[in-house]
Amino acid sequence: MTSERAVVDLLRQLAPQVVGMLARRHGQWDLAEDATQEALLAASTQWPHDGIPDNPRAWLLAVASRRFIDAVRSESARRERQNAVAALEVRGDVPDHDDSLTLLYLCCHPALSVPSQLALTLRAVGGLTTAEIAKAFLVPEATMAQRISRAKQQIRAAGTVFEPPPDAELGERLAVVLQVLYLIFNEGYTPGSRTAESGADLTDEAIRITRMLRAGLPSNGEAAGLLALMLLTDARRPARERADGMLVPLADQDRSLWTTPLIAEGVELLDATLGAGPVGPYQLQAAIAALHDEAATADGTDWPQILALYTVLEQVSPGPVVTLNRAVAVAMVDGPRAGLALLGTIAGEPGIAHTHRFDVVRGHLLELAGDTAAAAEAYGAAMRGTVSVAERRYLALKVARIAATSRDF
Amino acid sequence: MKYMIAMFGSASEMGATKTPEWINEMIAFMIDIDARLRASGEMVYNEGLADGSQAKVVRLENGQPVATDGPFAEAKESIIGFWIVDVASEQRALEICGEIVQWSEVVELRPVPAGPPEQ
Repeated sequence: MTSERAVVDLLRQLAPQVVGMLARRHGQWDLAEDATQEALLAASTQWPHDGIPDNPRAWLLAVASRRFIDAVRSESARRERQNAVAALEVRGDVPDHDDSLTLLYLCCHPALSVPSQLALTLRAVGGLTTAEIAKAFLVPEATMAQRISRAKQQIRAAGTVFEPPPDAELGERLAVVLQVLYLIFNEGYTPGSRTAESGADLTDEAIRITRMLRAGLPSNGEAAGLLALMLLTDARRPARERADGMLVPLADQDRSLWTTPLIAEGVELLDATLGAGPVGPYQLQAAIAALHDEAATADGTDWPQILALYTVLEQVSPGPVVTLNRAVAVAMVDGPRAGLALLGTIAGEPGIAHTHRFDVVRGHLLELAGDTAAAAEAYGAAMRGTVSVAERRYLALKVARIAATSRDF
Repeated sequence: MKYMIAMFGSASEMGATKTPEWINEMIAFMIDIDARLRASGEMVYNEGLADGSQAKVVRLENGQPVATDGPFAEAKESIIGFWIVDVASEQRALEICGEIVQWSEVVELRPVPAGPPEQ
């Protein structure tokens, strides 16, 4: 008997390689992906009892090849084109070429909607089953199966072949890949997401796939930056939610609960990356996360350095969300009124004003400034605006605390 | 027998009128009842919803669908969460409602018919 966990880990690691090898050999990557999924399911029932085969990758490739040929045969039979099958044969040799990154680019194809990119990446690259992905996103399995097959049709309709993007498009395509992986991470990290019950932990899966990406692009600073950002953020996970489900903000977290090895790995990765090439938004956000993680207490946080990094981030990748975060740093360095003044400069921007994030920050800075009535009003607006139940409860408690304090006077 | 239990209320009112202790107890209750319904196998599905001020209403006007804010934008009470439960009897469903209503202004219980009506 082999532990099921060990089997699952191995299968998820091998999945993109098997899809890649089949697709390279026969084309039709979408059929290759279906065949691989069937081989993974077969392995997940057989291996825990029979043990892991000597060459698990060759085993999967052989089973997936057979399923692939069966699928092509039945399709050919329908079309009465038997000669297509003649070119197919099961071969035992395993080529060394790893096409995992090509597959990742394909799953993050710009023609796809964001939910489709996430789902397809988790299945084809992550090796998760449709059922596991459906559970993680809290939708019925049939809905997720439909989303995945629609995504494949869209890629086919776009006329995409199984090849890495041309050099001219590589930067743009990598940006989409990084964004998809970060969204998967955040989906798992979002408060109140019920990943604990779902079996597949999206946060862990995002980190695993980003590790693979980083291994494939060792000299790319942003791939390393994203991995560091995920590790440094994930390190705080044990402290961010109380046992009763209540959120704990960064300043109030019990820092002894943070996962020290993850912080060490993130910082080491970042140190090796920063300065080695052009600095990008993920490296900068990772550097900010590292400063939070390295502070022994909330009061010991190096806010001037964080403010300097947000200022660079705003130049590299400007946007109202970055300004919002910079306003918090400004408040910690120059006082809440200075932070509120900066908020005032983006209050008219349609993308950010009247979002609950904006109201949360405004409430926080007003509270720091001692304007409790206005703070309660801002938190109230944020509470009506958020779609997260956990966050709404947290904000309701904030408003109630302010109301209780002002009643005491 | 399947039922929908709908809970009505307003998040904005709650923050202003309840104590932090009350809100803490309410949160603990909500987490606990979800866990109990799941453990007993009675929970089919549940969700908490965004505040009623986020709602849009779609009506047919001159044959065209028209979406407008509200009408709950200013309402004190609108649906704020729901459970679909599969329970042995209406009495059991009412018992669950009786617990929830301690923390919510109004709870509505509706049977979910199992199939088409018999001929």
